[in-house]
Amino acid sequence: MSLSRFLIKRSLQGLFVIWGVITVVFGLRFISPGDPANVLLPPDVDPEVRAQVIAELGLNEPLYVQYWEFVSGIPFGDLGLSLVTRTPVAARVVAKLPATLELAIAATVVAVVIAIPLGVLSATRRHQPADYGATVFSLVGISTPNFWLGVMLILVLAVQLNLFPTSQRPIGLDGIAMLLAGGEAGAAIRGFVTWLWHITLPAITLGTYFTALITRLTRSGMLDQLGQTYVRASRAKGLPETLVRYKHALRNTLIPVITVIGLQLGTLIGGAVITEAVFAWPGLGTLIINSINARDWPVLQGSLIVVAVGFVLVNILVDALYAYVNPQVAYD
Amino acid sequence: MISERTRRNLRRELRRSLLAKLGIIVVVLMVAMAVFAPFISPYSPSQQNLDNSRQPPLGFSTKETKEVTKMEDGSVVIEDGQVVTETQTVYTNATAAHPLGTDGNGRDILSRIIYGARTSILVGLFGTSLAALIGVLVGLSAGFYRGRVDDVLMRSADIMLAFPSLVLAIALVGVWGQAQAPIPDPFVATGLAPAFRSAVGLPTGMPETVVLPGTVIVVVALVNWVWFARVARGEALSIREEEYVKAAKALGASDGRTMLRHVLPNAITPILVLATIQVAAIILLESALSFLGFSGADVSWGFDIALGRQYQSTAWWISTMPGLAIVVTVIGLNLVGDWLRDALDPGIEGEGGV
Repeated sequence: MSLSRFLIKRSLQGLFVIWGVITVVFGLRFISPGDPANVLLPPDVDPEVRAQVIAELGLNEPLYVQYWEFVSGIPFGDLGLSLVTRTPVAARVVAKLPATLELAIAATVVAVVIAIPLGVLSATRRHQPADYGATVFSLVGISTPNFWLGVMLILVLAVQLNLFPTSQRPIGLDGIAMLLAGGEAGAAIRGFVTWLWHITLPAITLGTYFTALITRLTRSGMLDQLGQTYVRASRAKGLPETLVRYKHALRNTLIPVITVIGLQLGTLIGGAVITEAVFAWPGLGTLIINSINARDWPVLQGSLIVVAVGFVLVNILVDALYAYVNPQVAYD
Repeated sequence: MISERTRRNLRRELRRSLLAKLGIIVVVLMVAMAVFAPFISPYSPSQQNLDNSRQPPLGFSTKETKEVTKMEDGSVVIEDGQVVTETQTVYTNATAAHPLGTDGNGRDILSRIIYGARTSILVGLFGTSLAALIGVLVGLSAGFYRGRVDDVLMRSADIMLAFPSLVLAIALVGVWGQAQAPIPDPFVATGLAPAFRSAVGLPTGMPETVVLPGTVIVVVALVNWVWFARVARGEALSIREEEYVKAAKALGASDGRTMLRHVLPNAITPILVLATIQVAAIILLESALSFLGFSGADVSWGFDIALGRQYQSTAWWISTMPGLAIVVTVIGLNLVGDWLRDALDPGIEGEGGV
């Protein structure tokens, strides 16, 4: 199968999954005890008013009409109206997206910058103190709930030592970009420092699990590669050890590692939800939790769709990249 | 079902690996703690003592300055028509009565950790079992029948995988509400635990029921069955080509019988390894749901971490201790998982082998 045919097939599968996601999210409302009108109305409301509200929300329409109403707007970015504020859901989700994305990116940067050198070090010094240190670190890292890590970081570094703020996001990368565009370079730099200062603890909180996971993967991948015949051949040929390790072995190790980083993006968003709750970070996670507490189902549904569709798209992208960099892959 | 060779591999790996021994010890201790909670817990997890709140754990003491009403000769001092206050330094010392300290309501943290283990382990075991049941049924059928059945089942698995598990779990529990089933604690109901406690002089009045967090168990299973389905399907795909499966079919065995008697036993090893790791993942998921206040549990490690946050500047141990309990348990389970994987699947080498 050629690359383009593979991509077409993968995209069609992706479209099917997106349809499934939307349908599952639509169905979510029906497992909720009580109907949405109760969110808007006091319990002792006049039955006529109640009937009117139900009609306005379209809840007395046949199911297929409600489903069509729900599905048909989504391709055009219409995720319906919030039950509570009666404003478009899509606008609220989009407004929260930058905070979550920059948290996820910062965590990935933390993870990659620490984990890949650590994994390589661990593999090349097998059964030496550095290897044991890295192994223990990755074991503890994948076993620590990130919300507790966040609470501990706040406890020690923010409350006791006062090195970092406990929470809040006074400025985001979007705000900094606007300052830059407005030609205020000085303010942009100050803004960036503030941003960095505020995102450090949340990024470590979210990134630790990934750091541990990628360290493990890099270590085992690197060990695997160093045992391959081509490595022995290169050594026998007299290539310098640094070249063998860092050019050949590391390069082949990184392909699966990068795939895993891409595929773990969903877990990263899941982790972001709870990290946001710990640090009062105003992103998608906070929006999801607030919408559940307010029983604002359309906002919850819209957020879920955005998260899941984003994840499906990233997966397709990762698959395409993987197929592109690794021609050996069988496209199926 | 477990062959002699498998058992030999397990024993050999266990002898070789210090970490595997450590993992087993931790897991056994945690399970014992959960099962025998009504015998060993120093107090009831819900017993409050507001006069003794925020007592530090052994080895620590706290110093706090408080504004108190100034008293002279047993009466309030009033100057210019106002009650006079003075600052007083209050020291709180640790006592052996509460080795891990007390929380904001004066409840014993050790007792809460012991009882919290019940919630974690109940959800971990039942959640994993349910997830394995659903996942293995789906995966075996998909791999065994292939074709249309496989397509439908695996595409629905893809749909589930598109949601980050924590986000889906929060949404499901949030929408569904929290159903919990109190089950009578067998040790308290039979009078064994109270008799033991009064015999050794421990305070009685332990909770009479164990709360089974029903919704949380169903939700974690719904979120995590996919992993079992994938593994079971992969195994079934290769096992269905084996001679003995073909022979069973030729002898007229029904599909169900073939799957359960011939395919499943040969697929059980990777499913067991996965299950161990899934117990750890599900315990983490439960603690996250409880931390966010969505699980409805009021004795849970995650919930206690959240409770401790309001005391983060005065009583660090309230959030710290239950978190340590989670980390230790999950490390133990991961070590057991590594042991099983290293012993049963010699193809994978390297990780965890200290």
